[in-house]
Parts: sequence; structure tokens; C-alpha cells
Amino acid sequence: MVGHFVQQTVNALTIGSIYALIALGYTMVYGVLKMINFAHGEMFMLGAYAAFLALSLMVGDVGSAGALALTVAFFAAVLATGFVGVGIERLAYKPLRSSTRIAPMLSSLGVSLALVAAIQILAGPQPRAFPSFFPNERFEFFGGSLTTIQIGILIASFILMGGLQILVTKTRIGIVVRAVSESRATAQLLGINVNRSISMVFFVGPLLGAAGGILYASYYGVMTPTMGAVVGLKAFTAAILGGIGSIPGAMLGAFILAAVEVAGTALLPIVSFGTLGTEYRDVLAFAILILVLLFRPAGILGEPVSEESMVYKREF
Amino acid sequence: MKLRAALMISASLLATPVLAEEMTIGLSAPLSGAQAYFGNTWHNGFKLYADALNKAGGVNGVTINYNQQDDKADPREGTLVAQLFCDDDDVVIGLVNFNSGVAQSTLPIYDDCGLPNMTFGSNPSLTQQGYEYMVRPVANDLAGALLPAQYALETLGAKTAVIVNDKQVFGQGISEIFGKNFKDGGGEVLDTLAVAPTDVDFSAVLGQIKQMNPDVIYLGAVMPQLALFARQMHDQGVKATLMVPDGGYTPEFIEQAGAENVEGATVAIQVPPMDASDAIKDFAAKYQEAYGEEPGPYSIYGYVQGQILEEVLKTTADLSREAMNEALHNVSVDTVMGHLEFDENGDLKVAPSFLYKVEDGAFVLIDQM
Repeated sequence: MVGHFVQQTVNALTIGSIYALIALGYTMVYGVLKMINFAHGEMFMLGAYAAFLALSLMVGDVGSAGALALTVAFFAAVLATGFVGVGIERLAYKPLRSSTRIAPMLSSLGVSLALVAAIQILAGPQPRAFPSFFPNERFEFFGGSLTTIQIGILIASFILMGGLQILVTKTRIGIVVRAVSESRATAQLLGINVNRSISMVFFVGPLLGAAGGILYASYYGVMTPTMGAVVGLKAFTAAILGGIGSIPGAMLGAFILAAVEVAGTALLPIVSFGTLGTEYRDVLAFAILILVLLFRPAGILGEPVSEESMVYKREF
Repeated sequence: MKLRAALMISASLLATPVLAEEMTIGLSAPLSGAQAYFGNTWHNGFKLYADALNKAGGVNGVTINYNQQDDKADPREGTLVAQLFCDDDDVVIGLVNFNSGVAQSTLPIYDDCGLPNMTFGSNPSLTQQGYEYMVRPVANDLAGALLPAQYALETLGAKTAVIVNDKQVFGQGISEIFGKNFKDGGGEVLDTLAVAPTDVDFSAVLGQIKQMNPDVIYLGAVMPQLALFARQMHDQGVKATLMVPDGGYTPEFIEQAGAENVEGATVAIQVPPMDASDAIKDFAAKYQEAYGEEPGPYSIYGYVQGQILEEVLKTTADLSREAMNEALHNVSVDTVMGHLEFDENGDLKVAPSFLYKVEDGAFVLIDQM
């Protein structure tokens, strides 16, 4: 029983840390631009495909890539996806920045569809085997089993999340981004280059999303052009759950969502005496979301609804 | 009046030879998406045979046209394609729907417009619903899930099994039949678990299964879930033998899961090894030559369906849908897979089945019936 608990906890942490990496992108863009970037799930997918492309350019046969090639491919792919993110913002969102708030959101939906179609044409619609970025060794741990891939994912995502937290709270870039998030007009009056800080957000968000995509694809061993859709939706849910716009909120939301999913899968059949199966885990996850939105619309760590934020909402 | 009569006569003179020399077959299968490989290679097998017939001048002077459509393995797309075929008077026979779930929603449409069709969906219930215009030239899941159950009980000496399915017409159907066969043979089914067809993470389900410690796990699902499940099963240290249905008979199953993670897994399918007989070897060589790749798991059935169509065209009274349906149901033909006839429901009278095991990254035949 202890082993089972340990096992499921490890499973939840692994999924949660991948959700968290993606949720951060949603939350950062929303924090600064008050916009939901629906193309963010596709950054996650692009990360995996970019890493695959980089590997095949370097070593030909992807399956036999060494540690150095894998490391280089990882960094090349996340940086490339970061630049793609900046490019998308320039082309599809910036021209719409002064129009209604719904316009860039719809534009992002279009970008998302276009990216999926482009990858389907370039790389084929079928799933592809993806190499593991960590050596896969399995060992027993308090009766549960733990793989080095899971440990690698946990370490990599905590480093990335910690790095982001330091970037936002301790560096000059972070101060500038937070200032723009607080009030774009005031920041501009104070001489802050707003465009550059928005570009920064669109570089860091997709970069983290891409890292999530690579970790995810190497955990499951498969990548597909549509993999961003489902996971993107989950990460978006996590961001809302934690309070969209809040970075610690996104991480908390992601881990809660993963825990609910895993616990739901393990417990639903038991508490319902077999009538509700594990296939309802998504229902459970989204039911939690609805409850949070009903009773705490700003999310768990979101700012409570003030008069000021009500004014924001009326802009819709 | 005279002019009109003359026009009608000349029109019928023009029309008759065209109708007599060409017929169109509607082909529908997933040509894009996760199951594109299955649909494309199945249709290629059919085209290989039909192209050769056309090259030789057709069957009694009748040549074969294709109207090939992508149903994306999606019941909604499948019904659109079905309506398209029904409305096109040139289409007189259909080679349709790779997926049972898609066939389930298109068969009533084909029956309503009287378009005879060879259906590929293997769920046994498809032929039990009284459709008069369908036949099924492949073994149904009753055969597909009998061999694995026998093998598990007799050869592996398994006592307990856990069944996992994706709640789809195919996956749930075949896994229930396996469960029944396993129980009838004296085994115990510890639990039946369902997963969503979009799931990619099975770690939580596997955590549960690990506690039950079954001898075998039967997974009623399709690719890429089969490969994902196999890989995660190994990662979580679940020791049971994994048994999967025919969708797993593809090199991608081994590649995507990783060869060491599927070692010992078994796959049941209606297809013999490509060196089982001279006729099959000959087919495989022709396929390789025409498409520059190995035949897909169902290509040989496409080829067999070409042979069925040839026989239908030989025996049909004319090229109307009604006459084609009559000929299709009464077909009796020797194919590369052996002699083939349909029973009153449109099911095969004799349906072969084969069981493979993954050994050193390749499929090895271990049993057949």
C-alpha cells in the first residue's frame, strides 16, 4: 500500500511538473498582455519537433544520439522555439495590440491551427518515436518504482521554474516585465521599452513550453503534431486554477491538477464500486476547475476581485 | 418529336458503352492522422490488384475506377464520405471503413441507399444488425480474441488477467470477448478498467494494476496507445504479459514503445506471415516492387478484396448496385488467403487467425487457427 502511494505520488509529480512548465507560458502572457495565447500549446509541440530535427541533423539516426548531442539539441530546440514565439507575437499579435481584446486571442487560435497543419505537412501526421533524453533506468523506491526519466524531468523542470522565479523577482528584466504588467501606459511614461519586455515574455514562455514538450515526448517516447491540444488545455486549466497571471499560482495549479487526475484514476473505481472508471479523470479535473471558478473566480493564488480588476473585465 | 426521339436514341447509344466499361469503387479509410498507415497500406493492397486487372484490359471489358476518401478514423467524417458515395451514381460498390466505430455509423447509410460494401470493421455486432448490403471479408473479433485467450491459459499457464480498454466500439468489444474466452477457459478476470481514447498517460492505471499482479494484461485499444501503454508498463515495473489486438501488428508498435519494453508481448491478427505460402510471397514481392516498401499489416486483405471484386464483376448480371450486391453475397473465390465464402450475415465462413510474439524487436508467429 505504501508502495502504491509512493508510486502514484511520483507519477503525479512528474505529470504536474510538465503541466507547470506549460502553464507558466499562459500565465506570463496573460499577466502582461491580459490575453490568452491559444497558440501556446503548439509551442510545446514545436519544442519536441525542433529537438527531433536538431538531433537528426546532428547524428542522422536519432535513436543512437549521445549525451552531448542530446544536450545540444535540447538547448537548440528551446531557444529556437523561443524565437518562434517572439516572431509569432510580432506577426500575429502586435498589429492587433490596440484593437479589441478578443482580436489577438482569435489570432492566436489561427496561429495554433496553422502550426499544427504546417507540422503535419512537413513531418507527416502519424505519431513518431521520440528518443529518451535521459538514460532510462528503473529502480525500486519505498516499494514504488521510479525511473531516471522521471527524476530527470523533476530536476529539469524545478531548475527551469526556479530560474524563472529568479528572473522575474531578482533581475532587471524581471522588474521591467513586472512594471509593464502593472500598467503598460505608466511603464511607457517612465521610459521602459514596452515592446522589448513583451518580446521577452514571448521568448521565455515558449522556451519553457518547448522544454516541457521535450520532456513530455521523451517521457512517453512518442510525439504527434496534435500533442499540444490536450496538454495545452490541461496546462491552461492549471493556470486558471492557480490564478492566471500568478507564477507560483501556475505551478501550484499544475501540481493540484496532476494530483487530482492521478488520485481520481486510482480512487474513482474504488469509491464508486466500479461504476465510474478511470476514463473519467478528465471530467474530474475539469469539475474541479468549475468549482474553483464558481467559488473563487480569481483562482487559488490569484488577486481577489477588486473594483480595479472589475474595470479590466468590463473591457471585454 | 422526331428530333427528341433521335436525341434519346443517340444519348442511350452514347451512354450504354460507357456504363458497361467502367465501374467506380468507393474507398474509405483513415488516410491521415494516427491510423493513416493502416488505411493507406490497406488501400494500396487493393489498388495493386485492381491496377493489374485494369492493365490486362479489365474484367470482361469492365475497368475499375477509384473514388478514394479520407474518413480520418472519425465516425462523423465517415458518414460524410458514406453520403458522398451514396449520392454518386457512378459508385456501385464500396470498400469501406477501417474502424468498427466508423462502420457502426456508416452501415445504416449504405444500407439505406443500397450501396453494396465490403466492411473492414471487425466488431462482431456489425454483421448482427441485419444490414443487407454488407459483407465482411476479414475475421471478426470472436476469432481475434479466442487465440490469445487460449494461448494465455494453455501455453503461458496464466491464471489471472486484467483487461483495459479504450471504450471504443473496437477496443471494448474485442477486450470483452477476450475476457469471456479467458473466463470460459478457467481463468479469472481480476478487473476491467477503461481509459479515455485520448489518454497518453497510463501511469495511474498501471499503479492500480501493479497491486493486482495479474499474469496477463489484455489491452483493447489502437495505436499509439498500445505502444505508450507497453512502455509505461515496463517503466512502472509491471511484470504481466501484455496482449494486444491487431492494431499492434506494425513496426511502429516496437519502435515507439522501445524494443526492450515490448519483448514478449503478443499480437493477434488475421494476417499470416508474408512467407507463409508461395502466393503470399508473390504478393509481398509485387507490393514491394510497386510501392517501394514492405506491405502494411492489412495490405494483403486489400489484395484479397481486389480478388473478390474480380469475381463479383465476373458473376454479376450487370453493373447496378442491386446486381453487384447479389453477386457479392454469393461470391465463392480462391484467394491468396485461401478459399473464401460468406455466410447469410455476410461474415466469412472460415476465418483464419494468427498470433505473434515480439522477440528481439521482431514479430514471430507462435500460434494459428
